[in-house]
Amino acid sequence: MIAIAIIVGCILGALIGMNVPNISYTYSGYLAIAIIAALDSVFGGITSVLKGNFDLKVFISGFFGNAILSMLLTWLGVKLNVDIYLAAIVVFVGRMFTNLSIIRRYYIDKWSKKVIKEETKNEDEKKTMGEN
Amino acid sequence: MKKGQVTITITIGLMILILTAVIFVQFKTINQTDITSLENMREDELRTEINNYKQKIEEIAKEIEDTDGKIAEYEKVINTDKEASELLVAELEQQNNILGKNDVKGSGVIVTLTDTRAQKISGEDLRALLNELKLAGAEAISINGQRIVYDSYIVDIGSTYISVNGERIVSPYEVKAIGNTTYLESGLSKKQYGYIDTKLEEGKDVVLVRKDNITINKYTADLNFEYAT
Repeated sequence: MIAIAIIVGCILGALIGMNVPNISYTYSGYLAIAIIAALDSVFGGITSVLKGNFDLKVFISGFFGNAILSMLLTWLGVKLNVDIYLAAIVVFVGRMFTNLSIIRRYYIDKWSKKVIKEETKNEDEKKTMGEN
Repeated sequence: MKKGQVTITITIGLMILILTAVIFVQFKTINQTDITSLENMREDELRTEINNYKQKIEEIAKEIEDTDGKIAEYEKVINTDKEASELLVAELEQQNNILGKNDVKGSGVIVTLTDTRAQKISGEDLRALLNELKLAGAEAISINGQRIVYDSYIVDIGSTYISVNGERIVSPYEVKAIGNTTYLESGLSKKQYGYIDTKLEEGKDVVLVRKDNITINKYTADLNFEYAT
């Protein structure tokens, strides 16, 4: 159900993005940082789903709040002549890697448990056959 | 299906839609930035670039000024050179006129001496005439086309002909002289003791004609010193 929603959203979003007029290069920096923040929220959401403590309110507020906050920080950085967006990128990308590693570990654990289970099953079968 | 699950699904779908849309817009923008890079460049970048160009323009303007100054100097030098060379050319022309190396024109007189049966014109007659003309201020003289220059000579070769500048000439002797016409004429035609009267008395044929436009040819031989330095 959610997978279908995600796929439909992806396709529609791609189509809309292709047909929307270009934004000025001046603002593309802000947009890029917003995209990174949103992606971070998405990975964080996936992690929380796997951990079983997913909350839609937290997810939505993180998704939009982080994006807007990072854009504001970038704007402030431009005004102060400090590259604050670098800090935002470091934090978001670092968190993305952490979340990805959590997701990876989760699936690897799942897979290895499955393999061990099958092996023990096979051994059990062998034992039973040997007894026969 | 629970109502909460539907909300979650729609919300997540919408968020994904927004995210992908924004990502694609960004892709497109970055892709097309290369083509219209100048239009979409950041304001401060453009400002710096404009400043750079302004500086360059100033430098080039300075260079142009310098070059213009140099050109003006060169033109000045060229002009002075030109003036000097023009002056030299004019001087040379004048000297050549004096030396007899140029054709000259002007008003003057033509004296024609013709042999008669009774009296033959001698070299002495021509020399006397030359002297008289020079006295009267003649500037250029020629006898039968032979220009009289500083080393010209008039000698009788036997009694048959006269040699001027080494060229033989025969009667009628046409002596052209350019100078002040009045002086020349009056100098030659003084009463009784004047050249014409004297020669007419001797029975020689002398005719004097005033003319406004006489051309006297240049001296054709070389004018070179071999021993004098």
